[in-house]
Amino acid sequence: MLHIKDLQVSVEDQQILRGINLDVKPGEVHAIMGPNGSGKSTLANVLAGREEYEVTSGTVQFNQQDLLDMDVDERAHAGIFLAFQYPVEIPGVSTMNFLKSAINAQRTARGEAELNPMEMLKLLREKTKLLGMDESFLKRSLNEGFSGGEKKRNEMLQMALLEPKLAILDETDSGLDIDALKIVSDAVNQLRSPDRSFIIVTHYQRLLNYIVPDYVHVLYQGRIVKSGNKDLALQLEDQGYDWIKAEAEAALAQ
Amino acid sequence: MSIVLQDKQASTREWLEENFQQTLTDHQQGTDHPHAGFRRNAFARLQSMDFPTRRDEDWKYTSVNRILITPFRNGSLSSVSAAELANCQIPGLETTRMVFVNGVWDQSLSDLDRVPEGLILQPVHQAMEDPAVRKWIESQTARPGGTGQNAFLPMNLAFAQSGLYLRVGRNIAVDKPLHFIYFNTSEDQPHFSHPQIFLHAERSSTVTLIEDHRALAGAGTCFTNAAAWVDLEANAQVHHYRMQQQNLETYQIHNTLVNQTRDSVYNSYVVDLGGRIIRNNLSVELAESNTETHFYGTYLANGEQHMDNQTFIDHAMPHCQSNELYKGILSDRARGVFNGKVLVRQDAQKTNAFQQNSSLVLSSGAVMDAKPQLEIYADDVKCSHGATIGHLDETSVFYLMSRGIPAPQARLLLQQAFLGEVIRNMHLEEMANYALELIAIKLNAVSQTIITS
Repeated sequence: MLHIKDLQVSVEDQQILRGINLDVKPGEVHAIMGPNGSGKSTLANVLAGREEYEVTSGTVQFNQQDLLDMDVDERAHAGIFLAFQYPVEIPGVSTMNFLKSAINAQRTARGEAELNPMEMLKLLREKTKLLGMDESFLKRSLNEGFSGGEKKRNEMLQMALLEPKLAILDETDSGLDIDALKIVSDAVNQLRSPDRSFIIVTHYQRLLNYIVPDYVHVLYQGRIVKSGNKDLALQLEDQGYDWIKAEAEAALAQ
Repeated sequence: MSIVLQDKQASTREWLEENFQQTLTDHQQGTDHPHAGFRRNAFARLQSMDFPTRRDEDWKYTSVNRILITPFRNGSLSSVSAAELANCQIPGLETTRMVFVNGVWDQSLSDLDRVPEGLILQPVHQAMEDPAVRKWIESQTARPGGTGQNAFLPMNLAFAQSGLYLRVGRNIAVDKPLHFIYFNTSEDQPHFSHPQIFLHAERSSTVTLIEDHRALAGAGTCFTNAAAWVDLEANAQVHHYRMQQQNLETYQIHNTLVNQTRDSVYNSYVVDLGGRIIRNNLSVELAESNTETHFYGTYLANGEQHMDNQTFIDHAMPHCQSNELYKGILSDRARGVFNGKVLVRQDAQKTNAFQQNSSLVLSSGAVMDAKPQLEIYADDVKCSHGATIGHLDETSVFYLMSRGIPAPQARLLLQQAFLGEVIRNMHLEEMANYALELIAIKLNAVSQTIITS
């Protein structure tokens, strides 16, 4: 599904990613961990198409398409979804209007008919309920004045509505209390299916108690320096990153 | 004044003089009719004044030369089709309509049989036959207004063909909005017109007035020089809408002078979409305490359009509140101007005065000049002003696009939302919806230029 080869990325002439290699197959859940500043969020944003990041080398294939050649909205139409670390507040655009526009834009791009107002309302109601959200929240301006938990829940609502093929969660769990964390992980678990994949960027092992990953990768200084299964996350939780850093630097020194 | 300028204004004075004689003849008012004398006084005042130039502080960013060099003629009545009239219907809103074509009242198209009870509606010349009303009108026109060198006010008073006098009686709540539609249509020569409204809201009355300025296809170059005087007695409430959809060759200068006495509420809602040069002077005098004033303005300019909003709020007495919010979007080579003056006099303690102007400038050729001015002589007040000029937030564009919304649609949504913040303050939901629809239509039309620039 997703093949990242030797991906190198700079921001304002500073190299952040120094050669990422990653394969994600349909149905897999990959967790990406690593200390602050290791490039985790950069990887997530580059996959979604953020312009400030300059790809200096490498390729990304997504379902046989050259992902790096696609516009941001085309990537969404192809099935990529990024849950933002900091969802953007947009005063004056109601959450309802935004969700309708997004759903219909994707349907149009796929050659499907737009949903009529009744179908749309039914869908929105069903999914807001699923996320344990009050319907009144649809009338509010997008993310404006939302609490941290509400913003993240709104991201999960969008994911549930858009049903992407590959969902990338950029620190969606940061700053959430346990109830909100359960809602986020329930949303992911309900969407897990043999043809849908997830990349979960996180700082904390705690999330992985609720969303059990198939693979755990550790990003350090712009490279994946270690990969394993969920036990690797537990080991990091116990021992921190120092041993990983030591290993990585030893390998570089050779 | 330079010789060149004198020459320019001399030719302007020539065509004005000719028109003025014509105006007097057209209205066949004998020298003893009070309105004729009123016109002559106004014309004498006009002749004694210089037209503003960019050397005048209040006109620094707006040149009226283009207007003055065109020898305009008085407009005359011509027919407007039923379809054009139907086109003016504000969806879901029942109104009492008055229709004006090229500055002349078309009574046959107006709802004369449906003038609400408690409302007096008369041509100004008729109203002036009553000495008390005449005195009131003269007291209104004696008010200075907020803009210096404003020759356009006496011009309006000298030339108006169909000024209307409105008086809302004590305790009367006019339930249907008054919808004044001003059409510009095609004439042999460029014409000018002078929409004129004198609105007297008596004690505890309530009224909504919608001015609707528009040009029909093929109208060509026109000059609309409108003026409205609004006097609110104690506890009165006036909602004043101005929707402007002129063509791109039309010039419009609009003066609104408001006087508020105690416990009154005046709300102004302005939507400027059309026109080549648009200049709005909106001035309110808060003469007594506990008044409330809201100015909500939007401007959406592209191409060579020039839109200038000047506002003046004079806080003379304590416990008054004023709130101004103007937002606009400029693209191509459009220019926007906002000059908001708030004066808080020494006696105006406990004043709350807030002002905000925000503009999106979407092309490198577009220019916005914002000049908030707060002058405070009282010490126990809450006042603030702010002006921001910026681009569309690219992080927001990215967020919308990451959900599959194409770039042009994402930009449209954000621009609509930007102006929507002003529009949603309109007290009539139907007007807010109507304004949003007109804005969406124009945004769609100009989106192509915005994307490519």
